[in-house]
Amino acid sequence: MRMLEGRTNAWAGLEDVEALRERARKIRQRTISDLDRYLAEFTAAVEARGAKVRFARTAEEANAYIVDTCRRAGAELVAKSKSMASEEIRVNEALQAAGIRAVECDLGEYILQLANEHPIHIILPAIEKTAADVAELFSVVEGEPVSPQLEELAAAARRQLRKVFFSADVGLTGANFGVAQTGSICLVTNEGNGGLVTSLPKVHIALLGMERLVPTLDDLAVLLQLLPRSATGQKLTSYTRIISGPRREGESDGPEELHIVILDNGRSNLRGGRYEEMLSCIRCGACLNVCPVYRKAGGGAYGPVYSGPMAAVLVPLLVGLERAPALPHASSLCGACTAACPVKIPLHELLLELRKDLVEERVASARERLGFTLWSLAWSRPFLYRLSTSLARLAAPLAGRLGPGLVWTRGRDLPAFARRRFRDLP
Amino acid sequence: MADAELLLEEAGYEVGFPPEQVCCGQPAFNAGHRRAARRVARTFTRAFSRDWPIVCPSGSCSTMAAHYLPELLGVEPFEVWELSAFLAQAGATPSVRNDGCTLAYHDSCHMLRELGIADEPRGLLERSGAQLAPLPRPDLCCGFGGTFSIRQPEISVAMADDKLNGVSNADALVTADPGCLMHLRGRAARHGGPRVLHVATALARGVRP
Amino acid sequence: MSSLVERFLVNAEAAGFVVHRGEAPEIEGAERSTASYGLADTGSVVLAAGPDEPRARHLLPDVHVSLLSEERILPGLAELFAAVGFDLPSALAIVTGPSRSADIEQRLVVGVHGPREVHVVLLP
Repeated sequence: MRMLEGRTNAWAGLEDVEALRERARKIRQRTISDLDRYLAEFTAAVEARGAKVRFARTAEEANAYIVDTCRRAGAELVAKSKSMASEEIRVNEALQAAGIRAVECDLGEYILQLANEHPIHIILPAIEKTAADVAELFSVVEGEPVSPQLEELAAAARRQLRKVFFSADVGLTGANFGVAQTGSICLVTNEGNGGLVTSLPKVHIALLGMERLVPTLDDLAVLLQLLPRSATGQKLTSYTRIISGPRREGESDGPEELHIVILDNGRSNLRGGRYEEMLSCIRCGACLNVCPVYRKAGGGAYGPVYSGPMAAVLVPLLVGLERAPALPHASSLCGACTAACPVKIPLHELLLELRKDLVEERVASARERLGFTLWSLAWSRPFLYRLSTSLARLAAPLAGRLGPGLVWTRGRDLPAFARRRFRDLP
Repeated sequence: MADAELLLEEAGYEVGFPPEQVCCGQPAFNAGHRRAARRVARTFTRAFSRDWPIVCPSGSCSTMAAHYLPELLGVEPFEVWELSAFLAQAGATPSVRNDGCTLAYHDSCHMLRELGIADEPRGLLERSGAQLAPLPRPDLCCGFGGTFSIRQPEISVAMADDKLNGVSNADALVTADPGCLMHLRGRAARHGGPRVLHVATALARGVRP
Repeated sequence: MSSLVERFLVNAEAAGFVVHRGEAPEIEGAERSTASYGLADTGSVVLAAGPDEPRARHLLPDVHVSLLSEERILPGLAELFAAVGFDLPSALAIVTGPSRSADIEQRLVVGVHGPREVHVVLLP
């Protein structure tokens, strides 16, 4: 509830939100429709700044490069800052298989890692853990009890994670945006772990979704006006970091090596098609904040990585409809998400389109298709329609015990039918 | 329906009910079954002429008929009005049947977000004498969502509970959509909750406090 | 006081900075940085990494103090990027308050990884 209130208030502070949203939409659309050009520009600019770029078509390729880079650096410990893309490719598992330890440094992710669980919200990963839960987890690490007071927990986290920052050989982060013109990446955080992870270890690897580019710094400025507000209701988060290369001559910290891994992993599936707009998503979490279904269902319900309306659209497109057939229906199509999206993705319309695909690609069950076909054959004939409505009253007691009626009546009474239909009234 | 007819007649209109009408096809359309939706939606074009404006006491059906049906069938758009919007533009002054009543109004999703109709039903209810008690989140979906109510029944019902629990100090909860109505009333009947009425009924018959 | 400086003051305090005018506070253990710019719209200080400014200086201590000349205050991000242009440092940090987390029961915790206390000293 708090997230929603904060977000709505913060948009109110902006002059002409609608104009800003439209600018943001155009920036993202322009980038996506010319993505190859911007990727090339970005790559050249990054390399000109002395950093390396690796384009990874699949999760396996990304993991292979990351593990290889860590090995070449002789890494035993990787300090990780929050990254949805890294969850997508399951890099922690790949590192573990290679005998390299990866520690999540974002507080929520750290907590979940200690508990052996996955994040369930783009912005607040550990949204369901209580202070008591956290105290228990931290106590295990400390080797002595930690009290469930917020200040104590913060201090414990600081102690435990400082050790990680100072001893990690590699820092692994995501990136909110890549700026094509300058070869920069932008990290938006509140905690500060992103800054430490990119200052202290001698190697920094950043994982960037291929669609997360903007052409120029000016474009970045527009999106930065919307992203933090949409996510947490803040004008800017505590740290907005723009990284343009590894450590330079004379600098006393910062990584010696910067590697940017550009991830495809199914994103190309959306290019040039009906769903291309979904690539505009900036992972702000606004749609989650307003979704009444997400509010009740929670994040885990949507899958291991992404949640809410954006997940309901994106995940079936990345992994294939047949592997996520329920997601497009995990929505009452209320449209609140579309209204909240800072880059104006018509999320609920895309869900409707996915539902159509489910039927036309025969992923929807034969029984369901038959059901609707029979219904439509009956109700396209006025005589049969009238017959069905007169029978409805008689059938009502039975209807509550079969099929959809049975499902309905688990929590609700059936509607009472009028004694006489309107059309029969004099 | 009879209530809608009464209100339109009170506003000075002659009301016709084409007997060949069936359904706009929305349940199938929203579930992705376009062919089925088309079959049923064609009955709309056969039943209704374009000579008279078409008024519908349903936010979701009005949206379907006005916005989606033309493209689905490849026909020219019809002039379709949601009931309260039509009455409001006609300058209708409903009879004062709700004096002394407090009513809470729920914005159904299609009406709010696709049609942009929020003030008209409230205005009509106030002119009928009712005092409006604001809901904490009038814009929050009630959880019906067509087939969603059956595909995700637990979430659907939980969303209904959120809506119904938000009603305090009101004699009834009013909605302009039969889908929301059926779902909220069904839940309130099962679980206990406020009376739930269609806006046409609240205006035409009045709500006893 | 110019309106830009006024706006900066208001927004910096709202963002969680302790703002001083003219003289830097003496705080034991605090680290100091010279900010390249300030942003009035959001009350942010902009720190550019360089030989005199390690990336981690504004993150490691418990208390951090930024020294900012009033004439370096710009309205917002658009103006900052216009001023910096291609001449970007290896790391540009736009800092808008102390280190924050709302990851435990959605309650705000300050100073998890970065400073608990952040100060800005406005210099004429």
